[in-house]
Amino acid sequence: MLNDLDSIKSLAGEEIEKADSLKAVQDLKVRYLGKKGIITGKIKSLAAIAKEDRREYGKSLNDVKIYIEELLGVREKACKAVELNKTLQIQRIDVTIPGYRIPAGHLHPTTQVLGEIIGIFTSLGFHVEEGPEVELDFYNFEALNMPKEHPARDMQDTFYISDDVVLRTHTSPVQVRVMQNNTPPLRVIAPGKVYRCDADVTHIPMFHQLEGFMVDKHITMSHLKGVLEVFIQRVFGADTKLRFRPSFFPFTEPSAEIDISCVICRGAGCNVCKNTGWLEILGAGMINPRVFEMAGYDPAQYTGFAFGMGIERVAMLKYGIDDIRLFYENDKRFLDQF
Amino acid sequence: MKASYNWLKEFVDFSLPPLEIAHALTMAGLEVEGVVEADGDTVFDINVTPNRPDCLSIIGIAREISAILKVPFRSGPAGALEQKGRGPEVTVRDTRLCRRYASRTITGVKPAPSPDWLVRRLESHGIRTSINVVDITNYVLLETGQPLHAFDLDKLAGTKIEVRTAGPSEKFRTLDNEDRILNPDMLMICDAERPVALAGIIGGMNSEVSLSTMNVLLESANFFPSSVRRTAKALGVSTESSYRFERGVDINNVTVALDRAASMIAEIAGGCVSGLTDVYPSPFTAGDIRISFNQINSLIGIEIPGPLAERILTDLGFGVKREGEGLVVNPPSFRQDIQAEVDIIEEIARLYGYGNIPASLPSIQLQPTCNEPGIIEAIRKSLVRSGFTEVINYSFFYPDSLDRLNIALNDRRRDMILISNPLRKEESAMRTTLIPALLSNVCLNFNRGEKNVRFFEISRVFLPSSEKLPEEVVQVAAVYNKGETASLWETTHDGFYDVKGALENLFIDLKIKDHSIEQSPEFTEPYLHPGKSCTVRISDEKIASLGAVHPSVLESFDIRGNVIILEIPDVAKLKKYISAKTSFSPLPKFPRVERDIALVVSKGVTIERVRRAILSVDSNIIESVVPFDIYIGKSIPDDKKSIAFSILFRSADRTLTDQEVDALQAVIIEKLKKELDAELRG
Ligand SMILES: [Zn+2]
Repeated sequence: MLNDLDSIKSLAGEEIEKADSLKAVQDLKVRYLGKKGIITGKIKSLAAIAKEDRREYGKSLNDVKIYIEELLGVREKACKAVELNKTLQIQRIDVTIPGYRIPAGHLHPTTQVLGEIIGIFTSLGFHVEEGPEVELDFYNFEALNMPKEHPARDMQDTFYISDDVVLRTHTSPVQVRVMQNNTPPLRVIAPGKVYRCDADVTHIPMFHQLEGFMVDKHITMSHLKGVLEVFIQRVFGADTKLRFRPSFFPFTEPSAEIDISCVICRGAGCNVCKNTGWLEILGAGMINPRVFEMAGYDPAQYTGFAFGMGIERVAMLKYGIDDIRLFYENDKRFLDQF
Repeated sequence: MKASYNWLKEFVDFSLPPLEIAHALTMAGLEVEGVVEADGDTVFDINVTPNRPDCLSIIGIAREISAILKVPFRSGPAGALEQKGRGPEVTVRDTRLCRRYASRTITGVKPAPSPDWLVRRLESHGIRTSINVVDITNYVLLETGQPLHAFDLDKLAGTKIEVRTAGPSEKFRTLDNEDRILNPDMLMICDAERPVALAGIIGGMNSEVSLSTMNVLLESANFFPSSVRRTAKALGVSTESSYRFERGVDINNVTVALDRAASMIAEIAGGCVSGLTDVYPSPFTAGDIRISFNQINSLIGIEIPGPLAERILTDLGFGVKREGEGLVVNPPSFRQDIQAEVDIIEEIARLYGYGNIPASLPSIQLQPTCNEPGIIEAIRKSLVRSGFTEVINYSFFYPDSLDRLNIALNDRRRDMILISNPLRKEESAMRTTLIPALLSNVCLNFNRGEKNVRFFEISRVFLPSSEKLPEEVVQVAAVYNKGETASLWETTHDGFYDVKGALENLFIDLKIKDHSIEQSPEFTEPYLHPGKSCTVRISDEKIASLGAVHPSVLESFDIRGNVIILEIPDVAKLKKYISAKTSFSPLPKFPRVERDIALVVSKGVTIERVRRAILSVDSNIIESVVPFDIYIGKSIPDDKKSIAFSILFRSADRTLTDQEVDALQAVIIEKLKKELDAELRG
């Protein structure tokens, strides 16, 4: 009788080993453990066995049952894994199809560069002020030490609305407006649109400037150099060199023009820098005491520096744009690149 | 200003090659913008800033080189001038406008073409040559910076000069053969009867020196800068002479230049030089400027030794005396730009070398910045996320653009700020709306084969106000072209709902809670499709317009395709609706019940009306009402549509039973039947 169980055990082992699908495993489960299964049949016939043999036989039978159950369990898991794998293979997709995107728009390159520059100065403790684009001649010129017949007015071709109202030619008028309404210390940047009455290959009638200024006791030209150095090296890289040369603006004195080492050729000489290795990027200087007087500050008490730059110029150098007219033509193929 | 290397060498000893001279000048503030080699000489093109009229001359630049390189400057060839007899008769009526007038006559000249060396020198400096007498005045102008004028003495009535202002509407023909109408502001050089030159600007045809001239009156004078500038501007003339007088000419150089020119004329064109007439009622005196070393150092930010500062100023030709811990400085007559302490500091810094000033960062007192939370930045970000690309257009536009937008004649946008000197008539007014430029952007991109053009702009428009300056209003406008989408997502609408979605997202991004949509013809912008447009209000205030562009406007902008516009005409209005704080509401504790209902209503009934009708049912368990389907077609009458809503019910304090939801749903349906004549769709 026990021999009988041994042969069931070894046969079941063989059969389960051979089962290669979930269905086959299921069938074997029914065959051995189902209601009419072989093991179930043996359990039912247990009662007919002699009492003295029943205990030992029952135990062996139960061992065989557990053995078969475990075997079936292991096999079932293995078959499931195989089948899942098959399904996953069928679900294979083409991963080379381009991604589906909600097409995001782009910020205008001028906005992006302005944002970066504003970020740098904000981190240095400057804050942003704005002024009107249609401006009084007084703020645009007179208060900046350019009275009516001053030849320096020739430096900026001006759009006039009337004799005393102009389209601002620079963002510098914000200097005076801010000074009139605040007391030092001041650390201000003023970005915005400015207008010049000329248009050719290298000029457009509207562009963007950013004016910055700092007024306090004991501000020096050395500080101007320090602040601009931080700014330039953040925008164009830490290895960018600066060159300050004397220049003239009626509203600053001493005045300087700031060149940076050419970001295209790194100083070796190229078309963009006209083989000089240097690029003009900023105008700056110490605020002229006459401007302080116009704004109602005591020039004996305060000093300050101011600087101004063309944003498109910075963007052109940063991105390698070679034609300023592209900025406001608004061709999608241009805008999509930024 | 052009200046030749060899010419400069006549006045200053240097051995540096041209490119090094160019660099030295540039680094001292005289930017050399061009270097041209020709005929064994090199000509520099120098950008002379308006504060340095003294450098509009060879001698002036030579003085700079002398100071920069610390090499001696020598004044020009000054032989004794042979002179005979009295100078011409000169009367100056206006000594404010004419501060000095010197003159000599030269009789018996032989006008002829100039010698080669003179012609070459003038031509290489960009001056057109004529006959020797005139060429010499130009040569001396370049060399000394003093403008000169030669009159044909025999053409001057009474052989005398009177300097006076013009009579009203007096007429005068200038050397460029133009008839000018004068006004009483203009200073004229006259003979006994009539004007013969516009003072400091240009001579007259009536006294022009020609090949047949025998006797010459040579003028060297000094005129008031702003008067010359005003006259030159008013008449639209600019000459080498006016350019210099506008900026200021050395008043002490008047007779030096006159004598230099007279002796050159006598030498080259022959003739006999008369005695000198020099009307100079108030001679120049150099003022004292006192400056302390501390002032210098505290502006530059570095210790510059006193003797060095003194040396720099002396090299520049300034009179300098030490006084305690500072200097008393007398600027020379050719440096009228030097008037205050800071002008002296600049000179010292400039020649000390900006490159030698170290860079340092200031120590600052912390100040909380008061930067407003950037609503403009938030709008930009939101619209970019919704697929719009930012454009920037010029602030000017063509007033006729408003016609193309069908804008009424009494509309405020017709009231424009006009530019008095526009470059083109297309850019002659400050824009009052962003729409025309955006539509032109769409047109341009369509023509270049681009699809899905989705642009926005945030810029100021300019509206006249009662103040001196116009009101500058920040507007946002967007244009949207749906273009082609993949078939899977293709829907029938033309982009209206895409843009509406973008606006809804914008409100969410800005934390603006409520808004309402209104479709009423009286508020519709004239450039929008009357059936496919709406007004967006917040708390009853009109905030935005949204809609498809009117077909006639599309046509006038030459656009083939649909365009949806979103316009927020005054961004500042949004600010007050931004909810300042975000507050948390506890998560619901009890489950919700969801019921869908489908209704058949008249086509004219809007989704919003039905939604509001449902929400107005008196109950506190209706959580939300969301439309999810609209159906028109089979089994629905022609004048009706079917709409389906999903309604969510939830109570804050208990789990709802089916029975109470059923009861409420019945109430809702009853209300819809009564108010909207709706029927339940089976
Ligand atoms: Zn380069």
